[in-house]
Amino acid sequence: MDEFQEILQDFLIESFELIEQLDQDLVELENTPEDLDLLNRIFRVAHTVKGASSFLNFDVLTHLTHHMEDVLNKARHGELLIDAAIMDVVLESIDLMKSLLHTIRDTSKDDGIEVEACVIRLTAITNGENPSDAAVSEAAAVIEPEPVVEEAEAEDELDYANMSDDDVDAEIQRLLEERQAADKAKREAKIAAGEDVPNMPEAEAQEPKAEEIPVEEPAAAAPPPPPPPAAPVANAAAPKAEKKATPAPVATTVEQTIRVDVKRLDHLMNLIGELVLGKNRLIKINDDVEERYEGEEFLEELNQVVSIVSLVTTDLQIAVMKTRMLPIGKVFNKFPRMIRDLSRELGKKIELEISGEETELDKSIVEEIGDPLVHIIRNSCDHGVESIERRIESGKPETGIIGLKAYNEGNHIVIQITDDGAGMDPDRLKMIAIDKGVITEKEADIMGDKEAFGLIFRPGFSTAAAVTNVSGRGVGMDVVKTNIEKLNGIIDIESELGKGTVMKLKIPLTLAIIQALLVGVQEEYYAIPLASVLETVRIGKEEIYTVENRSVMRLRDEVLSLVHIADIFEVEHVFDTSEHAYVVVLGLAETKIGLIVDSLVGQEEIVIKSMGEYLQGMEGIAGATIRGDGGVTLIVDVAALMSMAKTIKSSVSSENSSGSGASREKTQPSDYKVMIIDDSKTDRKIMSLALKPLGITLVEATDGVEALNILKSGEHQFDALLIDIEMPRMDGYTLASEIKKYNKYKNLPLIAVTSRTGKADRMRGVESGMVEYITKPYSPDYLQNVVKRNIKFSFSEESA
Amino acid sequence: MSDKLQDIINKQQDQIAPGEENLDNVVQLVGFIIGEEEFSVPILSIQEIIKPIEWTRVPRTPGYVLGVFNLRGTVIPLIDLRLKFGLPSEKMTENSRFIVMKNETETAGFVIDRLTEAIRLKKSEIGSAPETAMQEKTMIDGVGKQDDKILTILKVDKLLERDF
Repeated sequence: MDEFQEILQDFLIESFELIEQLDQDLVELENTPEDLDLLNRIFRVAHTVKGASSFLNFDVLTHLTHHMEDVLNKARHGELLIDAAIMDVVLESIDLMKSLLHTIRDTSKDDGIEVEACVIRLTAITNGENPSDAAVSEAAAVIEPEPVVEEAEAEDELDYANMSDDDVDAEIQRLLEERQAADKAKREAKIAAGEDVPNMPEAEAQEPKAEEIPVEEPAAAAPPPPPPPAAPVANAAAPKAEKKATPAPVATTVEQTIRVDVKRLDHLMNLIGELVLGKNRLIKINDDVEERYEGEEFLEELNQVVSIVSLVTTDLQIAVMKTRMLPIGKVFNKFPRMIRDLSRELGKKIELEISGEETELDKSIVEEIGDPLVHIIRNSCDHGVESIERRIESGKPETGIIGLKAYNEGNHIVIQITDDGAGMDPDRLKMIAIDKGVITEKEADIMGDKEAFGLIFRPGFSTAAAVTNVSGRGVGMDVVKTNIEKLNGIIDIESELGKGTVMKLKIPLTLAIIQALLVGVQEEYYAIPLASVLETVRIGKEEIYTVENRSVMRLRDEVLSLVHIADIFEVEHVFDTSEHAYVVVLGLAETKIGLIVDSLVGQEEIVIKSMGEYLQGMEGIAGATIRGDGGVTLIVDVAALMSMAKTIKSSVSSENSSGSGASREKTQPSDYKVMIIDDSKTDRKIMSLALKPLGITLVEATDGVEALNILKSGEHQFDALLIDIEMPRMDGYTLASEIKKYNKYKNLPLIAVTSRTGKADRMRGVESGMVEYITKPYSPDYLQNVVKRNIKFSFSEESA
Repeated sequence: MSDKLQDIINKQQDQIAPGEENLDNVVQLVGFIIGEEEFSVPILSIQEIIKPIEWTRVPRTPGYVLGVFNLRGTVIPLIDLRLKFGLPSEKMTENSRFIVMKNETETAGFVIDRLTEAIRLKKSEIGSAPETAMQEKTMIDGVGKQDDKILTILKVDKLLERDF
């Protein structure tokens, strides 16, 4: 049973590999129906699948592939010209074959799929296209040498690598003779059937050349059967002798490969991740040591080791990443077929130009990118490229061209989809969006062209007047957006009315280890995937405007909505009085947003770690990473952040009106908290009594050290501090300057209450960060007023 | 000679046998204090106990989830049992510890006020949890009687279950 499973696995892997190339070949075949190389390749797929499936007892699959083989065999012998109608049937049968293979993969059985209808059609083609008179005998005559050909093919796959030169020569000789005999028989049959056989001698002369190439390739014995060794034979039957001189290059590029379970690679990647963290840690420690033991000899050695380790780690990481890379051609391959089907369905003429299919991407990304591309290309076919009449009217060539191009750009891969169709009209998009209730008119007014193009990604948005098979449900492009977001990718659209549209998908090369920008807010740090960071800017506070309760800023010619990271992550923050703000401009899929942070820390390579099931899926957090100092830093989920930003009421702009440092809503007088710091019990009592009528909460501390500890413990959120200057352990000035070292207390009003009245004392108070200076003795009313003013007390005393 | 050997073997078996019997009937627990009360969890569910280290707050979580911390390269959630049990928050002291508990799927650290001792309790000394209206939600596995005090045994699976 196990052995069977193993064979089955091999069979499936091989079949899927074969099929991948098949679609493209078939579409190409339709354009050049006489290309024998292609025909042979396709035939071989059907043949291989048939052979293996009959061995594995998949009767339905065998039945189907057998009939496909019949049709293709006729075609490659020049008895059948593949036209669009026949191609439809062939493609249908290939689809059936695929679904059969999928069924086999999932259930190890090949039942449940109806193939009979297709088989009948295939048979009809095999029979119906035959000339009724001489053809029957001709067909018989031609098919007769077939076993010989196949036998020769089988022999072709001998292990040439193990042969000596002499043996190879002998083998070539033998094969040649065999071929020539076969050819002769065939030719005779043709002549008997009254056909003209041109270029005979030339074809023969070319044969050795064509034969030698696969023989010299030692890897020819590798699993994918080397395509057409049978080409010369078939070529003799077709009037396309010149094609022969260039045997399919595919055979010569077979590489030495080894199949590895993806799980093992994943495990390797995880280990590398740990190594990268270790490297970061090492670098940090190295820096610390350098600082401490400056000038010591061993430092240089340590430095060297650290740089070697970090260099090798980086190389190792790249090397392992490369093992997971697949050419994007794997995805691109299915599009020629799709375009063909779509253009037939839509009655348009569309050509697909693919380039850069050798560009490589991480396997997990290759798997995710297929769906979005399907939707984008469908969209380009349906909405982009105009109908033939429209194109002629506007003076364009009949055939629309869709370009699919992949290339590398830094740490990203860019996939560019272009069409030379109608282009998009931003105003029309806005109108439709308003009609469908996707946006409001006000939103539309402030929208730039690029943002308007972005509307096509909104769920429920469609410009199609009617729902067709191809589009119009307003779902497809939404899928594009979600998938690209998942990959931390960016979508960029450029479109010119009447000229066409260019859509660029920018996707990071890998997902597990990423470059991140570290930002700070108060005492917390967050890591933002650098892939999503477009730029960082420093702006003046006056550059922040408010539109519809949203903070926005103008970035060059765009309007960027702003959100403070503290609002997203519920950091209790105080607005610092500085004139400037740091804005990290984030881009994801087609949207942009400005994230205001307190500080920019720097760039670091981070490894994404899960936070365990307990904390999985916390909104806005993509995971955590361990920093060089051993601390944990959370990684921002940019996609979630963007959607959160829409619902969060920004405090960025309301800052000026409310002003106060306290971030919590005050609903009653006791929500206000003031700390009294004085070493004299009597003085504390006096202050308490004076403030009691206000109904605010009071906390007492006996000196600076105690006050600082209370503050640091975070148990209380103070609105103001009343500080005596003369105190044991830590005096008022020192306390004030200590407090002001904390970012979050920058706006906390510190009020000095003292008997020192000298001008110098007042100056020192201001220097250390005091906002008010009350001299003892004072009247209770005066104290109340000062406190009320500083905590922005909004309740009248009656209510208290 | 062989008699002596037999003797020794017999003795060894005697020593092993009662131990085995004990293991079946005895539960080993680790006791700790939260607030005023003593709680305990089975020793086998504890991965390790460490002194408090720095942790990182995770936004948008309930108050009792303090955040995450780095346990030798693994990021682990940290839960304050005081807050979880509805007691007021208190500053960590010299005696505070993180108990790292795990089950098949999940690992998490729990802040406790102080450790007491490792306890061996006979199964017969453990009573079932008091009946409550919310039998499904209770975190109490059973109540152990020891000398003159009562010990609450907690359900580790329940503690490790996300309930928000």
